[in-house]
Amino acid sequence: MSLPSFQLHRPRELAEAVALWTEHGAAAKLLAGGTDLIPSLKQGLFAPDHLIDLGAIAGLTGISRAANGDWLIGAMTRIHEVAEDPILGREFPLLAAAAGQIASPVLRRMGTLGGNLCLDTRCLWYNQSYLWRQSCGFCLKKNGAVCHVAPGGRRCWAAFSADTAPALLVLDASVEIAGPAGARWLPLAELYSGAGDHPLRLGRGEILSRVRLPAAAAGMRGSYQKFRIRNSIDYPLAALALALRREANGAVTARLALTALNPAPVLVAGLERCLAAALAADPPDLAAVVQLVNRAAKPLSTSTVPADYRREMVLIQARRALEACLA
Amino acid sequence: MITAFTVNGQPRRLELDPATLLLEALREHLRLTGTKCGCDDSSCGACTVLVNGQPALACTLLAAGCDGADITTIEGIATDGRLTALQRAFGRMGGAQCGFCTPGMVMAAKALLDGNPDPSDGEIQAALSGNICRCTGYVQILASVRAALAEAAGAAADAARPKAAADAQRRAAGPTPPPQAAEPQSAHG
Amino acid sequence: MASRPQSDAARAIIGAPTAMVDAPRKTSGAGAYTDDLAVPGMLHGKILHSHLPHARIRGVDAGAALALPGVRCVITGADAPTAYGVLPIGKDECALQPDKARYIGDNIACVVAESERIAAAALPLIRVEYEPLPAYFDPEAAMAAPAAGWLHDHRPRNIEKEYHHVFGDPDAALARAAAVCRNRYVCPAVTHAAMEPHATLARFEPDGGLTVWSSTQVPYYLHKTLARVLQMSMERIRVIKPMVGGGFGGKSEVCPLEIVAAVAARRAGAPVKITYSREEVFYTHRGRPLQLTELETGAAADGTILAVRARVIQDGGAYCGYGPVTLLYSGALLGAMYDIPNVRWDGYRVLTNKPACGAMRGHGTVNTRFAFEAQLDELAERLGLDPAELRRRNFLQPPCRTVNGLRVLSYGLPECLETVVAASGWRERRTGRAAGAPPAVNDGRGPRRADRASAPSRRHGLGVACSHYVSGAANAVDRADAIHSTVYVEAAAPLPAPAGGASGGGAASDAAPPAVAVLTGTAEIGQGSDTMQAQIVAAALGLPLAAVAVIAADSAITPMDLGSYSSRVTFMAGNAALRAAEDLKQQIAAALARRWNCDPEAIRCLGGQVLGPSGQALSFAAAVAAALPPGAAHLRGVGTYSPPREAQGGDFKGAGVGPSPAYSYSAQVAEVSVDEDSGQVTVHKIWAAHDCGRALNPVAVEGQVIGSVWMGLGQALSEEMAYTRSGQLANPGLLDYRVPTILDSPPVEAFIVESLDPEGPFGAKEAGEGSLAAVIPAIANAIYDAAGIRLYQPPFTPDRVLRALQARAAAPASGQAATAGQDQPETKPGPASGPPPPSPAGAPPQAGG
Ligand SMILES: Cc1cc2nc3c(=O)[nH]c(=O)nc-3n(C[C@H](O)[C@H](O)[C@H](O)COP(=O)(O)OP(=O)(O)OC[C@H]3O[C@@H](n4cnc5c(N)ncnc54)[C@H](O)[C@@H]3O)c2cc1C
Ligand code: SF4
Ligand code: FES
Ligand code: FES
Repeated sequence: MSLPSFQLHRPRELAEAVALWTEHGAAAKLLAGGTDLIPSLKQGLFAPDHLIDLGAIAGLTGISRAANGDWLIGAMTRIHEVAEDPILGREFPLLAAAAGQIASPVLRRMGTLGGNLCLDTRCLWYNQSYLWRQSCGFCLKKNGAVCHVAPGGRRCWAAFSADTAPALLVLDASVEIAGPAGARWLPLAELYSGAGDHPLRLGRGEILSRVRLPAAAAGMRGSYQKFRIRNSIDYPLAALALALRREANGAVTARLALTALNPAPVLVAGLERCLAAALAADPPDLAAVVQLVNRAAKPLSTSTVPADYRREMVLIQARRALEACLA
Repeated sequence: MITAFTVNGQPRRLELDPATLLLEALREHLRLTGTKCGCDDSSCGACTVLVNGQPALACTLLAAGCDGADITTIEGIATDGRLTALQRAFGRMGGAQCGFCTPGMVMAAKALLDGNPDPSDGEIQAALSGNICRCTGYVQILASVRAALAEAAGAAADAARPKAAADAQRRAAGPTPPPQAAEPQSAHG
Repeated sequence: MASRPQSDAARAIIGAPTAMVDAPRKTSGAGAYTDDLAVPGMLHGKILHSHLPHARIRGVDAGAALALPGVRCVITGADAPTAYGVLPIGKDECALQPDKARYIGDNIACVVAESERIAAAALPLIRVEYEPLPAYFDPEAAMAAPAAGWLHDHRPRNIEKEYHHVFGDPDAALARAAAVCRNRYVCPAVTHAAMEPHATLARFEPDGGLTVWSSTQVPYYLHKTLARVLQMSMERIRVIKPMVGGGFGGKSEVCPLEIVAAVAARRAGAPVKITYSREEVFYTHRGRPLQLTELETGAAADGTILAVRARVIQDGGAYCGYGPVTLLYSGALLGAMYDIPNVRWDGYRVLTNKPACGAMRGHGTVNTRFAFEAQLDELAERLGLDPAELRRRNFLQPPCRTVNGLRVLSYGLPECLETVVAASGWRERRTGRAAGAPPAVNDGRGPRRADRASAPSRRHGLGVACSHYVSGAANAVDRADAIHSTVYVEAAAPLPAPAGGASGGGAASDAAPPAVAVLTGTAEIGQGSDTMQAQIVAAALGLPLAAVAVIAADSAITPMDLGSYSSRVTFMAGNAALRAAEDLKQQIAAALARRWNCDPEAIRCLGGQVLGPSGQALSFAAAVAAALPPGAAHLRGVGTYSPPREAQGGDFKGAGVGPSPAYSYSAQVAEVSVDEDSGQVTVHKIWAAHDCGRALNPVAVEGQVIGSVWMGLGQALSEEMAYTRSGQLANPGLLDYRVPTILDSPPVEAFIVESLDPEGPFGAKEAGEGSLAAVIPAIANAIYDAAGIRLYQPPFTPDRVLRALQARAAAPASGQAATAGQDQPETKPGPASGPPPPSPAGAPPQAGG
């Protein structure tokens, strides 16, 4: 199936890409591995006049260490490398587990970490052809004024469904954003707006260029729990990442994040306090922690798998992840 | 725009619309139709080719993005007109029924074996897990890859042969007599 | 004519694991499927589909589309107004609908342009004026629709067809049964999803003739339909079937693009190719219908089945297609695998505003078989019998006729059952009991039993089920007296060139040049029909396989065969090929008998030679030369096959569907475990024994059996066409229509059982469909064995399983099986009784249950 025509740019420098992206704005799209964007172009979800291919830019790929011991991963690093890198895998097994379950082996070789973090949100009423979307009336996220998932409302609830985001959130990652005014770092959580129709907080001309993993997060116990119907290819329908460390003094450092349930990946707030209380009981009473997850998850009917089941599933995942990391 | 790459060892220069997918460049511009299109949403693997030795979905890559790359398709893996062990095994072991997934399967399997000459069954299954086959239920595909490995290892292919071979030997030893044709009767009087 | 291999040479071919004769074309990438073809001047067509589920078409304005540079023409319903349909009683669809759209995806117009991209860009420029009509997506609601909601004026209440069959006295028999089970089963629609999307290339020749290359299982039906719609004589049309990337029934009736391409080629004055997008393949559908089954089975205390009563509603979608046949199969085969003396079956085929259903692997039987075999498991439990033993006590005693008149000669079911019972360790490993009751709130623990340890339960369970299928329909869809298959075997003739490099047919390998050519109309679609005929002819003529060339499915060259559907090809075309080879052999023998002065019967073909009774020998080629009549260029043996009258069934209304010259049988055991926290089901292994009569090629038979089992597994675990409340197919792509990946596919161990059918070629019968149906109930029954829940609706997705586990948990801890998330088992069959079907029109699209 052919793509509608566009002008293709293949900048060799990040600055050049930023300049093009600034110049063309809404008339352009960024292309990384294309595993999300190309199928969307085929469905007519975007019809950019310009496509800016980040694939020829030197210096956007690779895994390295900063002077302070933090880890840096270029945005164009392939998911496969993130999943298979032996040292990264030893320090951050959680990230390797999440990356290693994305899509299928071939797609992991094509897709990039930056593309994964900037993944468009997904909805059964949105990831469809023009004909399909036309048949029920276009929705808020694309050309329309209604939401088929929450009909009365004015919000889009399309689910953010990337696997590395929750893993990186609980590992306290930050991202470098290159833009017309230079580069800035921000905590990963701040990349996401929470609005399904505009999921990313990126300004005009801004490109995610690197991911930083703090050395302090290395060696944490982790668990990645992914629910999908098939064991390959499928996007997550509910997934959860937990990173946890018991300090020498008995204190617990822990973070838990969700994906594929809400319009953004969600770092669950108040986890550490709740977990500490849970662990004070003997045997530990994890029910309150599970309830915390229950309150954070907002699955709606954005897929053919019922939302109430996806909710139940994430609760099971929470318990399993906790049991695995506390064992 | 002009795109130049190597396909199956031959340098090619094509004048293409920038929106041309690698799959279209191969099938329509180069008439290399062995690479198939099975879906429109990057989810079946029928279009798998090797780009610089790595498996890639030709339906999800812009041809222009492959400028300078070394591309291998199903048409390019036979040597001197002789099919590879993998291709022959798919033929012999029932790994290709309708054959539509076969080029993608073979390329995905080749990518695995090129990097890992001694994979476990689990590794083979993992490597093929982005390729959908609607005919075989994958059992004979796994057997095909195993048989190709056995052949490459010079080992007796017998070990990896499907049960059919053993059955045939048993059958050859002595066929059972046919029943006599009989007039049907009503089971219910 | 119980033919079996007479000689060692034949035995070396028949029953030997044989690579497909066309394998090198597939593995090299050189073989051409329809979309791989290109001819000079070729244009591309794209079809505009309706975005409304039900609407009158007031007008089509293609002006803006025509103005786009590169667009050559736009055709609409007015260009091909002749209605067609595969059944004589169901010619209710046009290639492009002239006045009414009946589902989202219905075919309205076609743009022909210089490239696919231009055609696609022109589609949204076509303006169609629609007048929306009330639409129905639920079959029971459609049956109650007012006239404005009738899809076809001539089908009041949207009932395409209904049939009512009664054999014996089922009501009385049920009244005296020791145990009766009643349940309602819901099977959502599933589709073929063959990997090759449909494609057609049509070209008008300078002399006015038409050549069509198409991805079809039924070149002959396509040929006839093209003649009808284009109003040309069949002789002016040539249909060629290139390689086909799978069919499974989805290409077993004429699909709109096949007609549209030809009409467009005529209008454009240039060749036109149309290749469906994957989404269009889903809209074309013709797959297994959603089926609502209300079923009652009663047995005596000793397990003898006394009667079965069923009420079946099939949601046929917008057009007739094979509909009545699908429906009748659901009844004809219901009571025909076991000895059941009393059967009542009421069947309704209902029209709804959804893609039309049709034939899919296991046509018509699968959903009924699921219901019946799952219910037998319950019945066995009520009677305190082992489910395998219950089946054993109800075997047919062939040769016999079933109560609805189906003739059964060969019956390998007992051996199939014993094979899988033994191989699976059924007696030792089946737990044979249901589970108990856990807490009700989800605290992340799932509905696990409170007393159980924290680790999730993963108890394994085993389930058994059986199925069967026809070896071809004994009655052709259009003519009672049809010849079903004709095959020619030609020797010493120059081989006709495969047309356009695209005709089917397998070249022999590089060894000896072919000595004979098989000319056959059969459609190789990956099932191995070319190889099968090469084997049969080689065996019959004592030739090596490499000496046989198969030329297939080119109507200009090859004789007529009805097509690749209903598992008919090995039995019917195989018999025709065998007869053609024997005819050729007789011609040779007659000539040599004169020369050698011996009885022609005493002449044998063996090892590439023709041998006389007293040591005379000629090479096969020399024998052919000797037998050629003066001046003749070749010898041609002709073989035909038509099913015998005795196999054609009874004479009640609807009796034509179900009869077959022979039936295959399958028994399966599935081993599963259920994650009782999450409801996720894992299938660990399936043992499948299939009675194929005789395995002409065990590699191919195993491939067919495993492939069928696996396709049933997909329906059991993950495949379902889900619809939104507005009638859209929610998952029209391979990402969301979840065909199992290799990681979801358990090992399937196939066992071949050979009952040697007296009428099959070398004893062979069906292998490609019959094993599909058993796997769904085998898995359902195994889930019960593992977790104590009965599931009445596939696919057994985690959400459905979890609901049932929760209901089990909530049920009084009596050890009784839970049936939750499902309809009550006590629902009495009767019009519109019982709760509505869980899924189809629900909003948002959901797995239902
Ligand atoms: C069949 C299938 C299954 C999949 N399953 C999964 C799955 O299980 N889990 C999962 O997480 N994903 C899945 N994906 C999605 C996708 O493959 C991965 O998320 C992949 O990592 C995306 O990376 P990419 O480089 O291909 O992104 P692209 O498609 O190139 O880009 C994705 C989006 O991000 C934007 N973007 C890309 N890079 C940048 C950047 N550096 N800065 C700013 N914006 C950027 C693009 O403009 C685009 O909008 C699946 C995709 C397919 C086709
Ligand atoms: S959540 Fe609503 S607005 Fe957002 S994509 Fe889905 S239907 Fe559209
Ligand atoms: S055709 Fe490329 S993945 Fe299906
Ligand atoms: S062989 Fe037909 S799809 Fe794999």
